[in-house]
Amino acid sequence: MALTVQSSPASNDYQHLVQEDRIHGSLYTDPAVFADEMQRIYTDGWVFVGHESEVPEVGDWVSRRLGTEPVLMVRNRDGAISVVANRCAHRGTTLCPQNDGNHRNFRCAYHGWTYDLDGTLLGVPGPKGFHKDTADLGLDRPGQVDDYRGFVFANRSGAAGPLSDHLGAGGTDLIDRTSNMSPTGSVRLSAGWIGQHIDSNWKMWPESDNDGYHLNLTHASMARAVPDTYYDEIVMTGEDASASVTRAYDGGHVELDFRRSYTTELAWLGTTREKVADYCEALEGSYGPEKAKTIMWDGPPHALVFPNLFLAEMNIARIEPVSPGVTVHHHTPLLVEGTDESVNRRLVLQSEAAMGPASFFLTDDAVIAERMHRAFEGAAVGDDGWVDLSRGLEREQSADGQRWSDITDETTNRGFWHHYRDVMAGVVGDRHNRV
Amino acid sequence: MATLDEPTRRDIEAFVYLEARLADESRYDEWEALVTDDMHYWVPFGPGDYEPGTRVSYINDNRARLGTRIRQLATGVHHAQDPPSSMRRVVSNIEILSAEGDEFEVGSNFVLYEHAVQATGHLRLWAGRATHRLRRTSDGLRMAAKKVELVNSTSPLPNLPFII
Repeated sequence: MALTVQSSPASNDYQHLVQEDRIHGSLYTDPAVFADEMQRIYTDGWVFVGHESEVPEVGDWVSRRLGTEPVLMVRNRDGAISVVANRCAHRGTTLCPQNDGNHRNFRCAYHGWTYDLDGTLLGVPGPKGFHKDTADLGLDRPGQVDDYRGFVFANRSGAAGPLSDHLGAGGTDLIDRTSNMSPTGSVRLSAGWIGQHIDSNWKMWPESDNDGYHLNLTHASMARAVPDTYYDEIVMTGEDASASVTRAYDGGHVELDFRRSYTTELAWLGTTREKVADYCEALEGSYGPEKAKTIMWDGPPHALVFPNLFLAEMNIARIEPVSPGVTVHHHTPLLVEGTDESVNRRLVLQSEAAMGPASFFLTDDAVIAERMHRAFEGAAVGDDGWVDLSRGLEREQSADGQRWSDITDETTNRGFWHHYRDVMAGVVGDRHNRV
Repeated sequence: MATLDEPTRRDIEAFVYLEARLADESRYDEWEALVTDDMHYWVPFGPGDYEPGTRVSYINDNRARLGTRIRQLATGVHHAQDPPSSMRRVVSNIEILSAEGDEFEVGSNFVLYEHAVQATGHLRLWAGRATHRLRRTSDGLRMAAKKVELVNSTSPLPNLPFII
């Protein structure tokens, strides 16, 4: 028992709390750690906000969070996308309490301050009473907003460097493979978002969403209820029997790579070419037969782009930290363009089965995360309360900015946590612990 | 609003109460025996005024997927309902919205208290409106559709792995 509190490492000694093969449970539950994360990850770093297809028309907006900071992602008059604080610059009233909408401008309900779509203050009632230059009183804006293939990211500090550095080769490839599922190369997120409230820390979701070891047991009920799902073929087969691999890329991006396990074309869609002929022909028309064949066999990635974007095969999910013990896991089906709508109808149905609070998969993950969170409530740094993440450490391989191992190994968990440690300890850029 | 003879009205109300109680008590075999082969079970996001499948819903089960849902609950290893939530719902404001031939559309309001014993032990409150489409068959009344519009469906919801 660790009762020698005075000699224990500090609760913010991230080099100690995240080790090669284990992490400390207080990282999930300590409010001071959560506050550090909101600064170092969600303020100082790049965070996924949304996809440009969600705001197709001028004035369209959706409500989002950068960490716990409320923002709006807006389509501007010039066609560009803005991210602005969802908070009046006067006295702080929430401007748009709904999930989404379309406005010509944003007018605060309290005193009527009115902002253009890009956050510029347009006017205030009774302007003679102000001696300040109202040009300085626009909505707060993140220091950097950029997109890659329509996936919009923001960085509040403005000092995170280019988005391309954050994504790196791994994150770029993952978003490419996701976007290429659409014959036009542009996906469409227009089927609506559903949020799942979970009473657990947010970091259990980058872990759980990309954990290849839990599938046999956590999701055993689904395997028994529907024994012929593709999950059954690729991950329920047991140690050494699956050709799937876990991957960790530079930058904390991690993947459960099922590509080698698919034994039929379109296995990831649970169907055959005849049922989605228009989609397959559109892929071939756009990409040529060879690349289209690869897309149809490999399917979409199952991966995390650090810290909050889960590329959930034919879904996109956002992991939203609310407090140390509350997370919202939002998801929307990944729809494709340039083909008839029948494949998109199929994707909505597939999404409803896999994702969300009434789905066949995420419900079990939620209960596991909630049990795990409760088990670490009150955990203090010491000899107790460590999480073992050693599985496969001795057999994983590395080359070219990535590590990989058996699908059941904890390569993904370690990849997430080791990058987390670098960010939290302020050593990102120090390449000694990159793969 | 449909005007019905009193015995029919009593049958319909008794069916709605029975359906609620079987769901409360996680008696899914008995609950499933109440549905028709063309059953549609729908929990929309926001008001249920859109065509299911055109955008994402919490639940949009045809009969086959509803069967999967119930088989999963019956496996004994569905952690989200292991052990099953302790639940009681109060159903009220029952109205027969329409009656055409053998089919009746029935509206009601409900409040459901769920003790989520699987992890947090929280008492969760669910409230909304249910719309049943009931059909008179040779075996008595059966349920051909149930739509559940939750009052807070546009906000994040906790686990909903049971029949609501």
